[in-house]
Amino acid sequence: MARRTLVFAALVGALIAAVVASLALGAVKVPFAEVIEIAFGGGEGGPEQQIVETLRLPRTVEAMIVGAALGIAGAILQGALANPLASPDVIGVTGGAGFGAILIIILFPGSIALLPVGALFFGLLAAALVFAFAWSGANRGSVGKVVLAGIAILSLFTAGTTGLLAAYPERAPSAIFFIAGGLTSSGWDELGTTWPYFAAGFACALVLIRPLDRLALGDDVAASLGSRPHLIRLAAAVAAALLAAASAAIAGLLGFLGLVVPHVVRMAGGSSSHTFVVPASAIGGAALLAAGDTLARTIRAPIEMPVGPFMVLLGVPLFLWLLRKAVP
Amino acid sequence: MNGAGSGPPLLARDVAVEIGGAPILHGADLTVGHGELVAIVGPNGAGKSTLVRAVAGLQGTSAGSVLWSGREVGEMRGRELARVRAFVPQRMPVPAGVSVREAVTVGRSSHLRPLRRLTGVDRDAIGAAMERARVGRFAERALTTLSGGELQRVQIAIGLAQETPVLIADEPTSQLDLGATVGIATLLRELADEGLTIVLVVHDLALAAAVADGAVIVAEGRTVADGPPGEVLTAARLAETWGADARLSEHDGRTALHVAWLAATAGSDGAAESRSC
Repeated sequence: MARRTLVFAALVGALIAAVVASLALGAVKVPFAEVIEIAFGGGEGGPEQQIVETLRLPRTVEAMIVGAALGIAGAILQGALANPLASPDVIGVTGGAGFGAILIIILFPGSIALLPVGALFFGLLAAALVFAFAWSGANRGSVGKVVLAGIAILSLFTAGTTGLLAAYPERAPSAIFFIAGGLTSSGWDELGTTWPYFAAGFACALVLIRPLDRLALGDDVAASLGSRPHLIRLAAAVAAALLAAASAAIAGLLGFLGLVVPHVVRMAGGSSSHTFVVPASAIGGAALLAAGDTLARTIRAPIEMPVGPFMVLLGVPLFLWLLRKAVP
Repeated sequence: MNGAGSGPPLLARDVAVEIGGAPILHGADLTVGHGELVAIVGPNGAGKSTLVRAVAGLQGTSAGSVLWSGREVGEMRGRELARVRAFVPQRMPVPAGVSVREAVTVGRSSHLRPLRRLTGVDRDAIGAAMERARVGRFAERALTTLSGGELQRVQIAIGLAQETPVLIADEPTSQLDLGATVGIATLLRELADEGLTIVLVVHDLALAAAVADGAVIVAEGRTVADGPPGEVLTAARLAETWGADARLSEHDGRTALHVAWLAATAGSDGAAESRSC
C-alpha cells in the first residue's frame, strides 16, 4: 500500500513539474515565478502573459488530457483483454485514425481543419468494424477474436494509408508530423470539438475499474459475481476507442504511450489492481506527454519537432529499467 | 439462509445444453437441499462441469428448467444470481500484482453498487471469508507466490466473500497433492456442517464418498443415479459407468477405492471404447 502511495505521489510531482516546465519553456522563456503567478490568476498583462494564457496553457491542457486518455485507454484494454501487448492499436483505432488524417492531408489539403474530424471518424469506424466482427457468432467477445479482428482491421487501414502515401509522394512530408504524433499551439478549438468523446471515455473508464478487477480473476469469477465478461470487454474497448480516437484527432499517432505507461505504473507500484493502475496511468500519461511536448518544442526552438519520438526517448529507458527487475 | 423451508434451493430438471451445435448434456436432473454437500461424479467428458455451469447460469441451456428457490435461472439478472450462488472455477487465472486480500475483496464486489466504497460490513465479510477458508495468514502475499492448495483456498474464500447460500466448486482438488486435497475436503465438509449448501464436482470417488451427503452420477450427458454415496457408488455402477473393476470401502472414518488396475475385463473395455467414440 505504501509503495503505491509513493508511486502515486511521485507521478503527481512529475506531472506538476512537467506542467510548470511546459508553461515556462519555449521560444520565449517565462520565469517560473511568473508562470505560477499567471496560473493562479495574477500576472502583469504583458506579452509573456499572453503567450502563457493563449498559446501554452491550451497546449499544456491538451497534452495532459491526451496523455491521460492514452494512458487510461492502454490500462483498460490491457486489463479487459488480459494481454500485456494490448494498446489502442489492437482495436484498430490507431490505424483508422491514421488513415482518416492522411486522407484529409493528401486529398483535401485545402481543408486541413477537417483533419481532427477525419481522424476521429475513421478511428471510431475502425473500432466499430473490429467490434462488429469480434462480438458476433460463436465465442463472441473472446480475447482471441478481438485481437485477431483488430489486427485484420489495422492491416486494412494501414494498407490504405500506405497506398495514399505512395500514390501522392509529393504530399507525404506534410503527413509525417501527424504520423509521428505532435501537438500544435492552436488554442482551445480542438478540445472544443473533441471534449465530449474524452468525457464519455473518462466516465466509462471510471465505472469499469471494478468490473476489470473481476475480469482479472477470469471470466468464471466475473460471471459468478454477476458480470457478463464479454460486455465488460466491449465497454472497455468502446471507452478506449473514444479516448484513443479523440487523442489521435488532436495529437496524431502516439500509440506507444498507451502501451507503455500502464506497464511502467504496474511495475513501479507492484500492483495490477485497477483502482491503482487506471488513475496512475492517467497521471503518468499526462506527465509523460507534457514533458515530451516541452522537450519537442524547446530542443530546436523555434522549430517544433513531433512529440512522439521524444516521449519514446523519455519513456523507453524508464520502461526497460523497470522491466529488468520485473517478475511478469 | 434465504428461502429456508420453501423447498430446495436448487432444482434442475431435464437440463439440455448444446455447445456449437453439439449436444453436451441431455436430460440432466439435480436437486440440492439446504445445507447438503452434493458431489457430482462421472467419467471425463460426461458433462459434469457443463451441468454445474448450466445451473449456475454460466452456460445457456437449450431445454429443461433450472430453479433457484423457485425462480428460473434464465430470468434472473446477474446481480440476483450473484446473491444465490457462488461459482468457484477449477483454476482461475493468476494475475501478477494482486494480493490475496485484494482478490477476496473482488469476491465481495457483487454486494457493492457501482463506484461505492467498501463499508465496515463488507470488510467484516471479507475478513470472515478469509478466516473460514484459512487464508488469513498469507493475506498480504501476491497470488503468484502461492502453492496450488493455497490458491484453491483463496478461490473458495472469494466465493465465500459473496455470502451466498450455495457454493458450487468445479473440481477444486483435481490438481492438488494428497495433503492439500485432504485440506480442501475438510474445509468443504466444515462449511457444509456450518449450513452452507455445496455442489462439488469431483473425480476422486473415495473423497466423494467420505465428504458428500449425496452423489449424482453423470454419464454420457445424463444423470444416471443419485442418492447417498454408499448406495449409488456400487461396484456394479463403477463397472458400468467407468468401465473399471473397483469397489469402495469404508472403515474407521477412512474411505478407499480398491481398483483392479490391470484386470480390465473385455466387457468393460468395450464399454469404455464405445463411450469415447
